[in-house]
Amino acid sequence: MTNLTRRIFLRRLTAAGFSATGAILLAACSQPQADKPAVIVEPTGAPKPTTAPTLPAATAATLGAQPTAAAVAKATTAPAATNTAVQTAAAPTTAPAGLPYLVVARGGDNPEELVKRTLTALGGIERFVKPGNNVIIKPNMCVAYHTYEYAATTNPWVVAALVKLCLGAGAKSVRVMDFPFGGTAEQAYAITGIGDQVKAAGGAMELMTSRKFLKTDIPQGRDIKSWMIYDEILNADVLINVPIAKHHSLARLTLGMKNMMGTVQNRESIHGNMGQRLADLAGRIKPALTIIDAVRILMANGPTGGNLNDVKKLDTLIASTDIVAADTYAAGLFGVKPEQLAYIGAGVKSGVGRSDLANMKIEEIAVSG
Amino acid sequence: MAASKLSTVMTPKRWKMVRKGVQYVALGAFFVLFIASRRGGWAAEVVNAPMRLDPLGMLANLLASRTPLAGSALALVIVLLTLVFGRAWCGWLCPLGTVLDIFTPQRKLQPIFKEPARLRSIKYALLLITVIAALFTNLTLLIFDPLTILFRTLTVAVWPAIDRILSAVETALYNAPLLQDPINAFDKVARPALLPDTPLYYRDAALFAAFFIGLIALNWLAARFWCRYLCPLGGLLGLFSKVSLVRREVVASACTGCDACARLCPTGTIQLGKNGASDPSECTMCLECLRACPRGGETFKPVLKPAKLQPYDPSRRQVLASIGAAAVGVGVLRSETAARRDDAHLIRPPGARENDLSAKCIRCGECMRACPTGALQPALFEAGLEGVWTPVLLPRIGYCDYSCNACGQVCPVAAIPPQTLDDKRLTVIGKAYINTNRCIAWADHRDCIVCEEMCPLPEKAITLVESADSPVKLPVVNRERCIGCGICEYKCPLNQAAIQVYAIGQSPS
Repeated sequence: MTNLTRRIFLRRLTAAGFSATGAILLAACSQPQADKPAVIVEPTGAPKPTTAPTLPAATAATLGAQPTAAAVAKATTAPAATNTAVQTAAAPTTAPAGLPYLVVARGGDNPEELVKRTLTALGGIERFVKPGNNVIIKPNMCVAYHTYEYAATTNPWVVAALVKLCLGAGAKSVRVMDFPFGGTAEQAYAITGIGDQVKAAGGAMELMTSRKFLKTDIPQGRDIKSWMIYDEILNADVLINVPIAKHHSLARLTLGMKNMMGTVQNRESIHGNMGQRLADLAGRIKPALTIIDAVRILMANGPTGGNLNDVKKLDTLIASTDIVAADTYAAGLFGVKPEQLAYIGAGVKSGVGRSDLANMKIEEIAVSG
Repeated sequence: MAASKLSTVMTPKRWKMVRKGVQYVALGAFFVLFIASRRGGWAAEVVNAPMRLDPLGMLANLLASRTPLAGSALALVIVLLTLVFGRAWCGWLCPLGTVLDIFTPQRKLQPIFKEPARLRSIKYALLLITVIAALFTNLTLLIFDPLTILFRTLTVAVWPAIDRILSAVETALYNAPLLQDPINAFDKVARPALLPDTPLYYRDAALFAAFFIGLIALNWLAARFWCRYLCPLGGLLGLFSKVSLVRREVVASACTGCDACARLCPTGTIQLGKNGASDPSECTMCLECLRACPRGGETFKPVLKPAKLQPYDPSRRQVLASIGAAAVGVGVLRSETAARRDDAHLIRPPGARENDLSAKCIRCGECMRACPTGALQPALFEAGLEGVWTPVLLPRIGYCDYSCNACGQVCPVAAIPPQTLDDKRLTVIGKAYINTNRCIAWADHRDCIVCEEMCPLPEKAITLVESADSPVKLPVVNRERCIGCGICEYKCPLNQAAIQVYAIGQSPS
């Protein structure tokens, strides 16, 4: 009896297996190649309406509705840069009425307070996150080697504060992820302290699976026309880029644009023409907001770190919807001139953002306690 | 009286059900512990318990390493079990035995070839050669230990294949928007707890799969062919079973010589024409024969005298031959070129080289399973035939994670020494050398600092120098600092890395 049922069971299992395999093959074949980009590209259009203030169409509308001079107080006096930006890539060139283009918050010993004050100055988290939004926060968790004190990875409380703010603004989900190059993601999430803080704040840590890196067109790219980019990052309603400011031997510094490398594959090949390629990627991935964590910065032996003597505590955050502007300002913390960073030059040339700090409305906040 | 009560409750059918239940639970436990052996899984002393239960592995390790390990004493549990219930391990607990039971073709229980009994001595020969070779500090034959076979095959061939199939299915189905949420939910549960979040690769996975499939295929010649004729652990437990307490006995008055029991016996030890007598060294206490006897003539009861010797039992002659074979075998293996000079790429797990890995490693593959980057691979001939399937680190496949010391923790016999993370970070396993004829920066004068960027040391062992001859910065290795973790070789963008790690002891200094 038992033998017979086992045999029948096995036979049915095999049949089920074959039919399932067949169905999968059919499903796979029925998706013609042309469909693939559509699947990737279509959802990336979605963020546009929801992150309105950071995108040019909406910005133009704002500008149209109000007198330009009033809207952007002292913000734009670099028309040439503005024009190329509008023509070539969807870069934010101005901030909405009355709001600063870039915010720098300093002081105190409470990263959460820094985040809150920064966002308030930028017009509140509601400017970026609408109720029901699917938010992804991308910190720098590039190695699974050290705790946050070593300044190789983003400050956990900065990330957690952002998670809380996004959830408070009604985000449907807030996910935090990175694809470390040294060690596993699971270990990186744990050892950097980010995993614990994010979970305590109500966010979710997500492991990036290699099969979700899909070949993605970069129409505006000057050097690279397509790359393997993480699908979910492109599909998110809001992407918040939270790099840590640190030393890097080739790029000199790794800041906001370089942090986007955690969302792509085949990173080693980026190094061939790093400046332009980072600009091309940043122009395609377009985080809604870049907040550079300079609570602690790593002055040498980056990006991996491991020596507390290389760490400098600055208790500073730099935030802008313009990734290039944020990087430009952050470079100053290291005494590095923007011209020395190839990706800033490339970012400006490609219209990803601006580096003319003198012409921006910058709000500096002193935070105490 | 108690026995008769038990026999009324436990009908032959129920005994079979109980045995099968125990078998599946034991196999399930083995799978669960296998899965939990990954770095980040359960405690090492829990997940490596099955290996430490293995009397053959532990005995051979003890003889070869001459170092008693407290953890290995766990194997005494199985020795005791065997002294009481004979080869019950084989019939009730052994995960490989259960796998073989699952793949037993019906109506092919008994051998389809002649004079099958003589083959039974193979397992004793294998056992004796294994044990005697262990005295010569050689553990090569532990590749035939049933637990190491199963664990290694799961690590190298089965699990990666399951992962690959599931990933292909997921990737295909992911194109359907409706299915994306369920797939994400599945991934959240399954990765990394059950399956790796990034695919792992093992060299010659097909070889390991073929070995295992071949072993199962032998079942078509006779049920549990492996257990009857080949298994060295079965041989060891068989020797203990000669004096085991509880044994199968046939009530002579009930036996009509119908041979129903003999036909059903999965190890074929019930002898036709001898009133159904059997050899306790071959009997796995599976209790199938209880069901066979139409007159209830089968009993399992305590017997105090040693079992009768069988023609296939190891004779003095066979023991002497085995000693000779082991000595010659070890001698030949150590005449190989690999014994003269190690392969330059024989990078051992942290601390293992100094710890005399080859005289301790039981080839179980726990370290390869635990290694999060898949860097640890089964050696083929880097360490000679003698070191086959010992762990070797292949930097091009994976690197030694700076924040991981899992291999030393999980090793059941401390062949890879257990180290704190701080100590492991200082353990040198090799040294990196740059081939300046191929290096992108050195040879082509193009920007590439990947190796320097990746170097995990707080004071980087790879630094960049400026040169009047080169427009770009050039990487150089500071060999004083380098620990040979191999992340530089792993990440080098060239198709063959221009920076390579060489095993320590080989490098020109």
